[in-house]
Amino acid sequence: MTSVREKIGSSGFHRTVLKNGSPYCYMKVCLLDQETRLNAVELKSLIITGLKDLHGEVGAALPFDVLKFDEGSLTAVLRVCSGGLVKLWSSLTLQGYYQSQACAFRVLQVSRFNL
Amino acid sequence: MCSDLDRTPRTLLVCDRSSFLDEKNRVSPQVEKLHFNHKVSVLLPGCSVTPSNLDLVMNTFSSFYLIKKLPVHELLDPGLQGAINQGVVYGLSFGTRIDEDTCVALMPKGRLVLSLDKDSYELLGVEGKPSRFNHRTCSRFVVSVDLTDSSMAPGGRGHTRLLTGLRSHLQLQTDFLLSHHPEGGASLQPLLSRYDWSKHEPEVSCRHLTDLTCPDFRSCDCHSLLEWIGAVEADISCESSSSSFLSSFTCPEPNDVLSHALSVSICGLLLPHDVQRLIQELRCHLQQTQLESWASLTVHGFIDSPVSWGDNEHGVLSGGENFYNLLMFPDHTYHLHLATGAYDTCPP
Amino acid sequence: MVPHILSFARYLLCEVNVSDMNDLFLLNDQAVAAAVKAAVARIHGDYGAALCSIRFQVKYLNAHTGIVFLRFPKSCYKLLWSALPFITHINSRGQKIPCFLNCLHVGGTIRTCQKFLIRYNTQQLHRMLPKCKNEGEKQQIRQAILGCFIPGGNKEACEDDIECEEDEGE
Repeated sequence: MTSVREKIGSSGFHRTVLKNGSPYCYMKVCLLDQETRLNAVELKSLIITGLKDLHGEVGAALPFDVLKFDEGSLTAVLRVCSGGLVKLWSSLTLQGYYQSQACAFRVLQVSRFNL
Repeated sequence: MCSDLDRTPRTLLVCDRSSFLDEKNRVSPQVEKLHFNHKVSVLLPGCSVTPSNLDLVMNTFSSFYLIKKLPVHELLDPGLQGAINQGVVYGLSFGTRIDEDTCVALMPKGRLVLSLDKDSYELLGVEGKPSRFNHRTCSRFVVSVDLTDSSMAPGGRGHTRLLTGLRSHLQLQTDFLLSHHPEGGASLQPLLSRYDWSKHEPEVSCRHLTDLTCPDFRSCDCHSLLEWIGAVEADISCESSSSSFLSSFTCPEPNDVLSHALSVSICGLLLPHDVQRLIQELRCHLQQTQLESWASLTVHGFIDSPVSWGDNEHGVLSGGENFYNLLMFPDHTYHLHLATGAYDTCPP
Repeated sequence: MVPHILSFARYLLCEVNVSDMNDLFLLNDQAVAAAVKAAVARIHGDYGAALCSIRFQVKYLNAHTGIVFLRFPKSCYKLLWSALPFITHINSRGQKIPCFLNCLHVGGTIRTCQKFLIRYNTQQLHRMLPKCKNEGEKQQIRQAILGCFIPGGNKEACEDDIECEEDEGE
């Protein structure tokens, strides 16, 4: 993280530029699977299984949060620390099965900001 | 190889802290510079219904038109030139994706920006620049034309060239969103009459929140602040404890609980001057209410717009955010956070 | 002047520690390679296993001292290296040998590893010297120390840190 700080004048105008400052990345993902119904806990364990397959025990230990999960549309908002974004994303892409049933994740949006 | 696993796209966040009373504050030029606003959301503490004066402003945001399958050369129509030259028309191609398709933006200062892939750029035959978002090979180009320029007057050389390019070579058609300042409406009518169009009002939706945990804005760092505002907007609960299996997201400390809050969001093609009006009204509202109050305003730009701040080029790649958040306090001070996506240039 | 070629490999000089020295004679290249691959696959999953399948090789195994040279691609040796401490046993000739790997040195060429190994062994001999019980043993060790030299050492001394690609067939 780098930050550039400039202060213009003494009149109280502060300007700070933060580069790569945000500690987290946010992902909006959608599970493409018509039949299964799963809840947030099952979703998280599904993602962890995927991480473990692709990145082993180190990957399975990657901390990430399921901020929100809509069981109707199977859409979730995930939060992951910036360094783990690539690992999480790649394992979501390669996730092919849930309980021996074909499924897939579609990443709808990735952002550094939770908005 | 594996060293790339930890790398993430670059982001930029500019934080300004100043006061509206400060002569150096640049809020209004900054607001004007983000031309294509998709969503405005307001978070107001201590209200359970929208105050009437705010409600009035929110419901009088300019409406916009969606024109189906508009041939882009129609934008060069002499009938429209008058309105464009006045600088009151905003237009943006709709349903196109900046990294895949051809995107068109008509900016209020009479500048037409086309973001084209290589094939259509060569078909068009108008000079442009390679896009900043090329990876190794040049596969995307940006053509930016100033329609107010003398050569772009109907019959002029540049005008004819662009017109033939768009009409006979490229035959570019796209769904188009069009909006205008209140005074520019009449000149759009002939254009609209020729195509399939519909008029849309910006959608206002309102949520009433109770028992909201809220951090202390003065001491909180800007990333956790934005995270919290985003969480409130997305209706994410901050209740979970940090040891929960699902999510360790909590409200930044120190925090207190608000009994009421109101979250209003407006969606559509929104004009900067409407946002200006809303900011003014929010400031008036803050003056009337008690101290220790605040108001937050978040404005999101269109992700697939070819421009972000001012004339700067915009692209998505892996995250196309361009938005700003304005946090206002009753003593006229404000915190402004401006953010752009991975490869965009710095906001003003 | 030796052409300065960048090495695309990292050689890890490791020591296999076993409780019973006789177990070392059961080891072979394939067994060590399989153990490393299994550990990497467990710790870093399919991604690690895939990295392990390109240009990973057990270059050298000394069954007497338990020294192994592992070659990893330079781009990902840190990731693969991090899995080595998780090796707890090696399966060889139908037997499970409990052991652990102790990494002594990381070098850009086999040559720098070899030089380090000779220096390391000399040091070890020096340490053993005071512990000798009789004159015969001392004499043996003195002989061994004198026998330690780096082949072609004096002219290479200044090139210690130059990382040039070593002959693949060594």
